[in-house]
Amino acid sequence: MKEQTTRAMWWRSPSFILDNRQQAQPYDTARGGALSIPPPPSTAMADPNPNPNPLTDKISAYYQTRAAHHGVVSSDWLAQAQAAVGHIPDVDDDAANSDQGAPPGEPFSVIDEFNNWRKQPDLAEAVAAIRALAAVIRNSQATTMMELEIELKKASDSLKSWDTTSISLTAGCDLFMRYVTRTSALEYEDFNSAKTRLIERAEKFGEISYKARKIIAMLSQDFIFDGCTILVHGFSRVVLEVLKMAAQNKKLFRVFCTEGRPDRTGLRLSNELAKLDVPVKLLIDSAVAYSMDEVDMVFVGADGVVESGGIINMMGTYQIALVAHSMNKPVYVAAESYKFARLYPLDQKDMGPALRPIEFGVPIPLKVEVETSARDYTPPQYLTLLFTDLGVLTPSVVSDELIQLYL
Amino acid sequence: MPDVQALVNDFLNKLKKRKIEGSQATAKQTAELLRSVISQQRVPYTNQAGALIDSVRAIGEQLIAANPIELAVGNIVRRVLHIIREEDLSLTTAAVTELNLSTISDDDDDDGGGNQDDHPVLSAAAVAAAARSSLRPPSLQMLLEGAPEFVAVPRSSSSGGDSEGKSKSMDRNSRTRKLKHDVIEAVNELIQDITTCHELIAEQAVEHIHQNEVILTLGSSKTVLEFLCAAKEKKRSFRVFVAEGAPRYQGHLLAKELAARGLQTTVITDSAVFAMISRVNMVIVGSHAVMANGGVIAPVGMNMVALAAQKHAVPFVVLAGIHKLCPLYPHNPEVLLNELRSPSELLDFGEFSDCLDFGSGDGSPLLHVVNPTFDYVPPKVVSLFITDTGGHNPSYMYRLIADYYSADDLVVQRRHSAVN
Repeated sequence: MKEQTTRAMWWRSPSFILDNRQQAQPYDTARGGALSIPPPPSTAMADPNPNPNPLTDKISAYYQTRAAHHGVVSSDWLAQAQAAVGHIPDVDDDAANSDQGAPPGEPFSVIDEFNNWRKQPDLAEAVAAIRALAAVIRNSQATTMMELEIELKKASDSLKSWDTTSISLTAGCDLFMRYVTRTSALEYEDFNSAKTRLIERAEKFGEISYKARKIIAMLSQDFIFDGCTILVHGFSRVVLEVLKMAAQNKKLFRVFCTEGRPDRTGLRLSNELAKLDVPVKLLIDSAVAYSMDEVDMVFVGADGVVESGGIINMMGTYQIALVAHSMNKPVYVAAESYKFARLYPLDQKDMGPALRPIEFGVPIPLKVEVETSARDYTPPQYLTLLFTDLGVLTPSVVSDELIQLYL
Repeated sequence: MPDVQALVNDFLNKLKKRKIEGSQATAKQTAELLRSVISQQRVPYTNQAGALIDSVRAIGEQLIAANPIELAVGNIVRRVLHIIREEDLSLTTAAVTELNLSTISDDDDDDGGGNQDDHPVLSAAAVAAAARSSLRPPSLQMLLEGAPEFVAVPRSSSSGGDSEGKSKSMDRNSRTRKLKHDVIEAVNELIQDITTCHELIAEQAVEHIHQNEVILTLGSSKTVLEFLCAAKEKKRSFRVFVAEGAPRYQGHLLAKELAARGLQTTVITDSAVFAMISRVNMVIVGSHAVMANGGVIAPVGMNMVALAAQKHAVPFVVLAGIHKLCPLYPHNPEVLLNELRSPSELLDFGEFSDCLDFGSGDGSPLLHVVNPTFDYVPPKVVSLFITDTGGHNPSYMYRLIADYYSADDLVVQRRHSAVN
């Protein structure tokens, strides 16, 4: 992280040229790879292990998965997704079986477990992380709480370092570790019952996450009024849930979807909304300012909510928030509370870059640099309210909640 | 019961006819009415808190519907509901702890703790923890700790009744009376708080008003009057500009009162606010209600004053008693409703009757009069809120609100569409 930060600082100065020369090698391979083999989502899904190692070519696993899950819809992609969803119980059972009877020769890997879980398109990343940690507990040979804690800590650290770009993963791990180490409910219990309780809680977490989405959808209903126009950026399950419930409640509204390059997640969302008979209009990402005067509110999801109350979300959120702010339109964020992360980015380059291959359709000359970051940071002053399962919050509440939890 | 119903109807009528002026009076009367409702309510042996909550809620619903603009009514109803829950939980916790200390009985039927499989000694601690957490708003901490069990508070309050039903040794009657007694005591305290909130706010005046300053205010507010006078009593000498607050000109009354109390007062028209604001050191105003996001519902014209203050970087300070804190967000359409008052406050009907004639032209008058009562002042233009607990940033208001209300009561009317 530190290294990345210092490099980011270098980029500011003219010495970025020098810097780039040193960096040129990995850069070219990353981009070249993206150009020569643009990975269609379907292959990513079919691949048993779709996560390129983030440490070598710096491609963000998190955003790869997102693209695979929420990217543009093709018929074979849908078939794949269907198969994956239908397959869940089997995966579940397989995982459980292999966990219980872990063969001694084959060491249990928390990362594989995590990968198993995150393949399900409907499962949030934090849930996958917590499930993976639960599997660690299940497989643990530890006999005392302390041993178990150390083992968990190791597992969570390896998970976190495996994909540093995924905020939900980090937040999920932190939340669970916090629960394990500081919960008073565990204090008086004997080791085995504590262990079962932990596993049980972890398994319930999926349910909590699902419920959180419902609560958020309910909370936000008051804010969607008849005749309003909502601008949505990116594909967010929570936002979809919000709009779905509004449609079910017979509200009359229309939705503008941005295209959401490079994953074109907006196409997917507009497809889903069209199915619900919600009037929907697609905008290219650069048409946001043009159509903002028709918009009554902006709704976005979040990959992570940081301590300042700002959000980290798909590239383009920041500029939409800026445009909305300058035109006095409210920007609402729908995010589950387990996405609250202990980060405090001071500016855009403050976080380690999460890179994604970007396809331009035509070959880009090697001398041309491509900005491949997948996310940006939207500072809290451009956000109006956050809808979370903890209630409707102003951005400043986020730090309050985090301090209460981790202090 | 019938005499309570008569009281309720009387109050409803007053609310509907807008006979009660000012949120403090409304809040106080609401609290007093609810107190008599509680004292008249017969409580069953089990689930007494549930019965109280239901009756208060039913009447609260009517009261809120009678005057949805007067947010103080809803605030007080929610406060009283919160008080009932609080008292019930503290009683339950005490009772369960007692139970465990005296007889180590199997209280696995006591589902208040949520972890029935525990040893009985532990579950007292668990119940206590649960009691503490169920009144607090949901937080990250409870996400994994099994908060979902406590979402439905009416259920958990019924658990108080359950555990009580089981404890044969307890003197039931004294307990029944105890809950009601405690609640009424707490409501009395609330009424006391509402009555004295002026003084608590006024006590802080010297910290904010300094020697030779110029203060601007708009309209008339008892809180502002007390605040300014408190500073005067502490031998601060300062000047007050009073914008008259058209169309009701309550500023005139305030100016008169201030002058009577020996303060240097200048009356200006509302339209002169921008002209005078550059001489002003601080704007101090009252409010109608403070919303959860820190926005203010205030007498009409306030937003203009706030914007003028912002333009000239003059601190815009809002005084608000606790009964004005509203847990709703102003985006709710029911909150956005503004009250439109009679046009006679603006125009003399005798003089303008020709223009207002429905008979002329196509049947609709050419002259329209719109006379809204309130302005919404967004939180970003408010510098400071002064409540009886001290000064707060607009972004901090949610915290006070979380302390005063429980999350289950936010939606009083549409109970079934509420958060599950």
